[in-house]
Amino acid sequence: MAGNDSLDLAALQRGDEVAFAGAVRLHHRALLAVASAIVGADDAEEAVQNSWIKAHAALGQFEGRSTLRTWLTRIVINECRMLLRGRRPTISLDEATVGHPLADRFTANGHWNKPPIPWHEDTPDGLLMEQELEQCLQRLLATMPEQQRAVLELRDSGGLEFAEICNELTVSASNARVLLHRARSQLFKLVDQYQETGEC
Amino acid sequence: MLKCREIVEHADALLAAELTPIQRLSVRTHLLICRHCRRYVRQLRQLIRSVAAMHGPASDAQVQQVVTAVKNSKAAPAP
Repeated sequence: MAGNDSLDLAALQRGDEVAFAGAVRLHHRALLAVASAIVGADDAEEAVQNSWIKAHAALGQFEGRSTLRTWLTRIVINECRMLLRGRRPTISLDEATVGHPLADRFTANGHWNKPPIPWHEDTPDGLLMEQELEQCLQRLLATMPEQQRAVLELRDSGGLEFAEICNELTVSASNARVLLHRARSQLFKLVDQYQETGEC
Repeated sequence: MLKCREIVEHADALLAAELTPIQRLSVRTHLLICRHCRRYVRQLRQLIRSVAAMHGPASDAQVQQVVTAVKNSKAAPAP
Protein backbone atom coordinates (compact mmCIF):
# COMPACT_ATOMS: atom_id res chain seq x y z
CA MET A 1 0.00 0.00 0.00
CA ALA A 2 1.31 3.42 -0.87
CA GLY A 3 1.27 4.81 2.63
CA ASN A 4 1.96 8.05 4.38
CA ASP A 5 5.57 7.35 5.28
CA SER A 6 7.11 8.30 1.96
CA LEU A 7 5.75 11.84 2.10
CA ASP A 8 6.31 14.69 4.53
CA LEU A 9 2.74 15.06 5.72
CA ALA A 10 3.53 18.05 7.91
CA ALA A 11 4.98 19.91 4.94
CA LEU A 12 2.01 18.87 2.83
CA GLN A 13 -0.42 20.27 5.39
CA ARG A 14 1.59 23.50 5.71
CA GLY A 15 0.93 24.10 2.03
CA ASP A 16 4.44 23.26 0.85
CA GLU A 17 4.26 23.22 -2.96
CA VAL A 18 7.07 20.72 -3.38
CA ALA A 19 5.41 18.30 -0.97
CA PHE A 20 2.09 18.70 -2.80
CA ALA A 21 3.71 18.05 -6.17
CA GLY A 22 5.31 14.96 -4.62
CA ALA A 23 1.92 13.70 -3.50
CA VAL A 24 0.50 14.28 -6.96
CA ARG A 25 3.42 12.42 -8.51
CA LEU A 26 2.95 9.47 -6.16
CA HIS A 27 -0.82 9.06 -6.29
CA HIS A 28 -2.20 10.70 -9.45
CA ARG A 29 -2.03 7.74 -11.81
CA ALA A 30 -3.56 5.39 -9.25
CA LEU A 31 -6.40 7.86 -8.66
CA LEU A 32 -6.95 8.12 -12.41
CA ALA A 33 -7.26 4.33 -12.50
CA VAL A 34 -9.85 4.40 -9.71
CA ALA A 35 -11.88 7.12 -11.45
CA SER A 36 -11.57 5.40 -14.80
CA ALA A 37 -12.95 2.19 -13.33
CA ILE A 38 -16.01 4.04 -12.02
CA VAL A 39 -16.86 6.78 -14.53
CA GLY A 40 -14.87 5.65 -17.57
CA ALA A 41 -11.65 6.99 -19.04
CA ASP A 42 -13.29 10.02 -20.68
CA ASP A 43 -14.45 11.55 -17.39
CA ALA A 44 -11.62 10.29 -15.17
CA GLU A 45 -9.29 13.25 -15.81
CA GLU A 46 -11.96 15.76 -14.81
CA ALA A 47 -12.93 13.79 -11.71
CA VAL A 48 -9.35 13.47 -10.49
CA GLN A 49 -8.42 17.08 -11.22
CA ASN A 50 -11.44 18.30 -9.27
CA SER A 51 -10.50 15.87 -6.51
CA TRP A 52 -6.99 17.32 -6.22
CA ILE A 53 -8.45 20.83 -5.92
CA LYS A 54 -10.73 19.68 -3.11
CA ALA A 55 -8.01 17.62 -1.46
CA HIS A 56 -5.61 20.57 -1.50
CA ALA A 57 -8.21 22.75 0.22
CA ALA A 58 -8.96 20.03 2.80
CA LEU A 59 -5.46 18.78 3.59
CA GLY A 60 -5.60 20.45 6.99
CA GLN A 61 -8.45 18.11 7.90
CA PHE A 62 -6.50 14.95 7.03
CA GLU A 63 -5.90 13.29 10.38
CA GLY A 64 -3.84 10.35 9.23
CA ARG A 65 -6.36 7.74 10.37
CA SER A 66 -6.08 6.13 6.95
CA THR A 67 -3.27 6.32 4.43
CA LEU A 68 -3.18 9.42 2.27
CA ARG A 69 -3.94 7.17 -0.73
CA THR A 70 -7.14 5.93 0.91
CA TRP A 71 -8.19 9.46 1.90
CA LEU A 72 -7.61 10.69 -1.65
CA THR A 73 -9.45 7.67 -3.07
CA ARG A 74 -12.53 8.57 -1.02
CA ILE A 75 -12.44 12.11 -2.40
CA VAL A 76 -12.18 10.73 -5.94
CA ILE A 77 -15.14 8.44 -5.32
CA ASN A 78 -17.23 11.39 -4.11
CA GLU A 79 -16.26 13.34 -7.20
CA CYS A 80 -17.15 10.39 -9.44
CA ARG A 81 -20.49 10.13 -7.69
CA MET A 82 -21.21 13.77 -8.52
CA LEU A 83 -20.27 13.22 -12.16
CA LEU A 84 -22.50 10.16 -12.30
CA ARG A 85 -25.47 11.96 -10.78
CA GLY A 86 -28.37 11.40 -13.10
CA ARG A 87 -26.42 8.88 -15.13
CA ARG A 88 -26.29 5.12 -14.90
CA PRO A 89 -23.15 3.94 -13.13
CA THR A 90 -20.82 2.06 -15.46
CA ILE A 91 -20.51 -0.79 -12.98
CA SER A 92 -22.59 -3.86 -13.65
CA LEU A 93 -22.31 -7.46 -12.59
CA ASP A 94 -23.01 -9.08 -15.92
CA GLU A 95 -19.48 -10.34 -16.35
CA ALA A 96 -19.02 -11.82 -12.87
CA THR A 97 -19.46 -15.40 -13.89
CA VAL A 98 -16.62 -15.89 -16.38
CA GLY A 99 -14.34 -18.87 -15.80
CA HIS A 100 -11.61 -18.81 -13.17
CA PRO A 101 -8.35 -17.41 -14.58
CA LEU A 102 -6.30 -20.22 -13.02
CA ALA A 103 -8.69 -23.06 -13.90
CA ASP A 104 -6.29 -24.59 -16.43
CA ARG A 105 -3.55 -24.82 -13.79
CA PHE A 106 -5.31 -27.68 -11.96
CA THR A 107 -5.97 -31.34 -12.68
CA ALA A 108 -9.50 -32.70 -12.63
CA ASN A 109 -9.01 -33.82 -9.01
CA GLY A 110 -8.06 -30.31 -7.88
CA HIS A 111 -4.27 -30.58 -7.52
CA TRP A 112 -1.74 -28.39 -9.28
CA ASN A 113 -1.19 -29.37 -12.88
CA LYS A 114 1.08 -26.39 -13.50
CA PRO A 115 2.10 -24.94 -10.13
CA PRO A 116 3.39 -21.37 -9.83
CA ILE A 117 7.09 -20.95 -10.51
CA PRO A 118 9.36 -19.15 -8.00
CA TRP A 119 9.33 -15.43 -8.84
CA HIS A 120 12.61 -13.58 -9.20
CA GLU A 121 11.51 -10.44 -7.42
CA ASP A 122 11.45 -10.72 -3.65
CA THR A 123 10.14 -7.25 -2.88
CA PRO A 124 6.63 -5.96 -3.58
CA ASP A 125 7.98 -2.68 -4.97
CA GLY A 126 9.92 -4.35 -7.75
CA LEU A 127 7.36 -6.91 -8.80
CA LEU A 128 5.08 -4.92 -11.08
CA MET A 129 7.55 -2.20 -12.04
CA GLU A 130 9.50 -3.89 -14.83
CA GLN A 131 8.94 -1.94 -18.02
CA GLU A 132 7.86 -4.83 -20.22
CA LEU A 133 5.56 -6.18 -17.54
CA GLU A 134 4.05 -2.75 -16.97
CA GLN A 135 2.81 -2.65 -20.56
CA CYS A 136 1.28 -6.13 -20.22
CA LEU A 137 -0.26 -5.05 -16.94
CA GLN A 138 -1.89 -2.00 -18.47
CA ARG A 139 -3.27 -4.15 -21.31
CA LEU A 140 -4.68 -6.61 -18.79
CA LEU A 141 -6.31 -3.86 -16.75
CA ALA A 142 -7.79 -2.34 -19.90
CA THR A 143 -9.44 -5.63 -20.86
CA MET A 144 -10.39 -6.76 -17.34
CA PRO A 145 -14.16 -6.78 -16.69
CA GLU A 146 -14.86 -3.33 -15.33
CA GLN A 147 -16.33 -4.44 -12.02
CA GLN A 148 -13.30 -6.63 -11.31
CA ARG A 149 -10.99 -3.75 -12.05
CA ALA A 150 -13.04 -1.39 -9.89
CA VAL A 151 -12.87 -3.69 -6.85
CA LEU A 152 -9.14 -4.29 -7.38
CA GLU A 153 -8.41 -0.57 -7.61
CA LEU A 154 -10.56 0.35 -4.63
CA ARG A 155 -9.34 -2.46 -2.38
CA ASP A 156 -5.70 -3.14 -3.25
CA SER A 157 -4.68 0.24 -4.63
CA GLY A 158 -7.03 2.56 -2.75
CA GLY A 159 -7.05 0.61 0.51
CA LEU A 160 -10.81 0.84 1.07
CA GLU A 161 -12.62 -1.62 3.34
CA PHE A 162 -15.04 -4.11 1.78
CA ALA A 163 -18.00 -2.37 3.39
CA GLU A 164 -17.15 0.90 1.61
CA ILE A 165 -16.56 -0.88 -1.69
CA CYS A 166 -19.92 -2.67 -1.48
CA ASN A 167 -21.63 0.61 -0.72
CA GLU A 168 -19.95 2.52 -3.54
CA LEU A 169 -20.38 -0.14 -6.22
CA THR A 170 -23.72 -1.48 -4.97
CA VAL A 171 -22.50 -5.06 -4.86
CA SER A 172 -22.88 -7.64 -2.12
CA ALA A 173 -19.90 -8.53 0.07
CA SER A 174 -19.75 -12.02 -1.40
CA ASN A 175 -19.79 -10.65 -4.95
CA ALA A 176 -17.07 -8.13 -4.11
CA ARG A 177 -14.87 -10.93 -2.77
CA VAL A 178 -15.42 -13.05 -5.87
CA LEU A 179 -14.61 -10.08 -8.12
CA LEU A 180 -11.44 -9.30 -6.17
CA HIS A 181 -10.35 -12.94 -6.26
CA ARG A 182 -10.84 -13.06 -10.05
CA ALA A 183 -8.92 -9.82 -10.56
CA ARG A 184 -6.03 -10.93 -8.35
CA SER A 185 -5.95 -14.33 -10.07
CA GLN A 186 -5.62 -12.67 -13.47
CA LEU A 187 -2.76 -10.55 -12.17
CA PHE A 188 -1.13 -13.62 -10.61
CA LYS A 189 -1.35 -15.55 -13.87
CA LEU A 190 0.14 -12.64 -15.80
CA VAL A 191 3.09 -12.20 -13.41
CA ASP A 192 3.70 -15.95 -13.20
CA GLN A 193 3.82 -16.27 -16.98
CA TYR A 194 6.08 -13.23 -17.25
CA GLN A 195 8.43 -14.58 -14.59
CA GLU A 196 8.65 -17.90 -16.44
CA THR A 197 8.99 -16.72 -20.04
CA GLY A 198 9.89 -13.03 -19.93
CA GLU A 199 6.81 -12.44 -22.08
CA CYS A 200 3.13 -12.07 -21.49
CA MET B 1 -8.03 -32.63 3.34
CA LEU B 2 -8.45 -29.56 1.17
CA LYS B 3 -7.35 -29.71 -2.45
CA CYS B 4 -4.91 -27.25 -3.97
CA ARG B 5 -7.71 -25.57 -5.94
CA GLU B 6 -9.55 -24.93 -2.68
CA ILE B 7 -6.42 -23.39 -1.15
CA VAL B 8 -6.35 -20.90 -4.04
CA GLU B 9 -10.02 -20.13 -3.40
CA HIS B 10 -9.35 -19.57 0.32
CA ALA B 11 -6.07 -17.68 -0.05
CA ASP B 12 -7.56 -14.17 -0.15
CA ALA B 13 -9.54 -14.83 3.02
CA LEU B 14 -6.47 -16.40 4.67
CA LEU B 15 -4.37 -13.31 3.96
CA ALA B 16 -7.17 -11.02 5.13
CA ALA B 17 -7.53 -13.06 8.35
CA GLU B 18 -11.17 -13.72 7.49
CA LEU B 19 -11.19 -17.53 7.84
CA THR B 20 -12.90 -19.25 10.73
CA PRO B 21 -10.55 -21.09 13.11
CA ILE B 22 -11.54 -24.44 11.58
CA GLN B 23 -11.01 -23.20 8.01
CA ARG B 24 -7.67 -21.69 9.01
CA LEU B 25 -6.56 -24.99 10.54
CA SER B 26 -7.55 -26.87 7.38
CA VAL B 27 -5.65 -24.45 5.16
CA ARG B 28 -2.59 -24.43 7.42
CA THR B 29 -2.54 -28.24 7.51
CA HIS B 30 -2.53 -28.36 3.70
CA LEU B 31 0.20 -25.70 3.53
CA LEU B 32 2.40 -27.81 5.81
CA ILE B 33 2.56 -30.57 3.24
CA CYS B 34 2.23 -28.69 -0.08
CA ARG B 35 5.13 -26.50 -1.21
CA HIS B 36 3.29 -25.41 -4.35
CA CYS B 37 0.47 -23.91 -2.31
CA ARG B 38 2.93 -22.36 0.15
CA ARG B 39 4.59 -20.66 -2.82
CA TYR B 40 1.21 -19.58 -4.20
CA VAL B 41 0.17 -17.95 -0.91
CA ARG B 42 3.58 -16.29 -0.42
CA GLN B 43 3.62 -14.87 -3.95
CA LEU B 44 -0.03 -13.80 -3.78
CA ARG B 45 0.81 -11.79 -0.62
CA GLN B 46 3.71 -10.19 -2.48
CA LEU B 47 1.47 -9.42 -5.46
CA ILE B 48 -1.24 -7.79 -3.33
CA ARG B 49 1.35 -5.56 -1.66
CA SER B 50 2.64 -4.46 -5.04
CA VAL B 51 -0.72 -3.40 -6.50
CA ALA B 52 -0.70 0.04 -4.85
CA ALA B 53 2.42 0.96 -6.81
CA MET B 54 1.50 -0.72 -10.09
CA HIS B 55 0.42 2.46 -11.87
CA GLY B 56 3.76 4.14 -11.27
CA PRO B 57 4.47 7.83 -10.69
CA ALA B 58 2.77 10.61 -12.64
CA SER B 59 4.72 12.36 -15.40
CA ASP B 60 6.06 15.91 -15.01
CA ALA B 61 3.32 17.12 -17.34
CA GLN B 62 0.58 15.46 -15.26
CA VAL B 63 1.97 16.91 -12.03
CA GLN B 64 2.21 20.39 -13.57
CA GLN B 65 -1.35 20.17 -14.89
CA VAL B 66 -2.71 19.40 -11.42
CA VAL B 67 -0.57 22.03 -9.68
CA THR B 68 -1.71 24.66 -12.20
CA ALA B 69 -5.37 23.67 -11.81
CA VAL B 70 -5.09 23.98 -8.03
CA LYS B 71 -3.44 27.43 -8.32
CA ASN B 72 -6.08 28.61 -10.80
CA SER B 73 -8.89 27.41 -8.53
CA LYS B 74 -7.48 29.47 -5.66
CA ALA B 75 -7.11 32.53 -7.87
CA ALA B 76 -10.66 32.30 -9.21
CA PRO B 77 -13.28 34.37 -7.38
CA ALA B 78 -15.69 32.42 -5.20
CA PRO B 79 -19.02 31.77 -6.96
